Amino acid sequence: MKHYSQVAGEIGAYSDLPFWKKADRGDLAYVAYGLFIVTLVLVSYALGALKLLPYDPQQISIGLLNAPPGRAGHLLGTDFLGRDILSRLIVGIQAYFLPGLLAIAISLSLGTALGVVAGYRGGPADALIAYFNDLVDSFPRLVLILLVIAAFKPDIYYVMVVVGVTGVPGVASLIAGKIRFLRQKNFIEAASVLGLPAHVIILKHILWYNCRTLLIIQATLGMGEAILIETSLSYLGFGVQEPTPSWGNMVQAGANYFLQGRFWPSTAPALAILFTILGFHLLGDGLNNILEGKRKK
Amino acid sequence: MRPAAIRPIALALSREMALTALLLLGVSFVVFLILYLSPGDPFSVLLEGQMAGDTARAGIREALGVPKAWYAQYLSWLGNMLKGNFGTSIRTGLPVFGEIVRVGLNTLTLTLGSLLITLCIAVPIALHAAVRGDTALSWPLTMLAYVVSALPVFWLGYLVIYVFIHKFGLFPLISGSSGAQEHAWLYFMVPIAVLGIANGTISEVIRYLRDEMSRVMAEDYIRTARAKGGSVWRHAFKEGLLIPVTEIIASKIPFILGGAVIVEQVFNWPGMGRMAWQAAQDRDFPVIMGIAMVAAAFVRLGSLLQSLVYAAVNPRGPQE
Repeated sequence: MKHYSQVAGEIGAYSDLPFWKKADRGDLAYVAYGLFIVTLVLVSYALGALKLLPYDPQQISIGLLNAPPGRAGHLLGTDFLGRDILSRLIVGIQAYFLPGLLAIAISLSLGTALGVVAGYRGGPADALIAYFNDLVDSFPRLVLILLVIAAFKPDIYYVMVVVGVTGVPGVASLIAGKIRFLRQKNFIEAASVLGLPAHVIILKHILWYNCRTLLIIQATLGMGEAILIETSLSYLGFGVQEPTPSWGNMVQAGANYFLQGRFWPSTAPALAILFTILGFHLLGDGLNNILEGKRKK
Repeated sequence: MRPAAIRPIALALSREMALTALLLLGVSFVVFLILYLSPGDPFSVLLEGQMAGDTARAGIREALGVPKAWYAQYLSWLGNMLKGNFGTSIRTGLPVFGEIVRVGLNTLTLTLGSLLITLCIAVPIALHAAVRGDTALSWPLTMLAYVVSALPVFWLGYLVIYVFIHKFGLFPLISGSSGAQEHAWLYFMVPIAVLGIANGTISEVIRYLRDEMSRVMAEDYIRTARAKGGSVWRHAFKEGLLIPVTEIIASKIPFILGGAVIVEQVFNWPGMGRMAWQAAQDRDFPVIMGIAMVAAAFVRLGSLLQSLVYAAVNPRGPQE
């Protein structure tokens, strides 16, 4: 007969402290920076959607081409047509925000479903899902996206469906692994001995109590990837088209001026990409270290 | 090598070969399905601007000998592909297979070279962190890796091009096949280095390698090796370095192939990525289908290599 404290000790070093007091200070700094970026993106998205911008992002002013930051009230300067860079950056968020959420929704829902079947059922279903995962992983994501663009049309929602589907194997194998691990635990065994139906065990005891942090972390990392894909495609000319701004096509449009030594119009959106993707990565990894306890010393 | 050690490798190899064949079959079906579901058919591209009515379309279908049923179309396409006939490009009229072979080597060099650069950066950092633990260097290195992973590769490409034009007076815009030029090796190396640094996986690679290495360093058999005065390096090498590195190589090939599309665009590198980009713009189906197939084969080859190394290191197989 095991004593309670022994069982608790097996599950993890138990303590009453809330997780933010147990956490590593570096991880907390990661999460703080990530949350700051998320807030910034959300607020900017709302500002862009409500058209509360410092300047009209399309307004061309010939007198102020490639102005440096701070000139004539343009906080981040102007681009090669004299358009306000800050306003364009804010509007550029619309290029990836909703499509990115779509991609995340697809990979999380489909990935969770497949992961549950693979981890809980096992057997031939598991083998079939492993085949599906390997199949999706065989395609370089960008090549598959180019294939879909050639077959259908360069529409960001089509692209994000592909991004979502290619994100499924990662989520599915994480969830399946977690469930295989949880199934050996006493509380799952107890729940099934008590006669709880399988869907309650899966939805409540496995997914809700034990997998939600995992899914939040995956969503965070997924947003980072969606931004990367959107900016890459806009850069390649398949995303949002000029004059509508997106971070990728802003970098691309500033490229010729970059090579002449006018760095800013191209660098400002590149920095926006850098800081935002960095924020989502750090948030995901920080949360992973804190909540999933990946860094036990 | 003793015959007893070869058998499990051969067994693993044959099993993996069968799986690879099955997966490539699936890949071909997915590629076919995407094309099959696409609105409009390739014939409208062929007949573009010729006021083609339905009769003309049916006529050209018949003239080209295209079967009607979808499975017959799939099987004939698959059969041709197995014979090395990937069709002809709609844009250039050249056979796709020859075109891919012509530029595929450039992309192979770019991809494998960048992977090597990534590993050359990641392995020492991960080793340092795993062996020495947290040092004064580890935080700045971790942060640097995060920043580099989030850096848009096209912007870094511009920066490098700018530096080369203005500081060194070199013009590294046309690279790859320009063998006769002066500094040709430099034009060759720069895109590889850029993709190797900024392919967006470096922090993930470092973290994975570090975690695996620290796990192995904490194993009992390493402690035993230390206690009896044996070489820790020799005991930890297989599980702590060889296996994680091959896993990284196998799992990062698709990412780096994707990055190659962008880097080839920035540096005008004549490779498969640029070809895929061009094909997507022209809706040149045979080319993009061929590239997707070749890229998938390349990815599967990486996994095959991984399972080979795994079987060689651990002949008992993956169970328990």
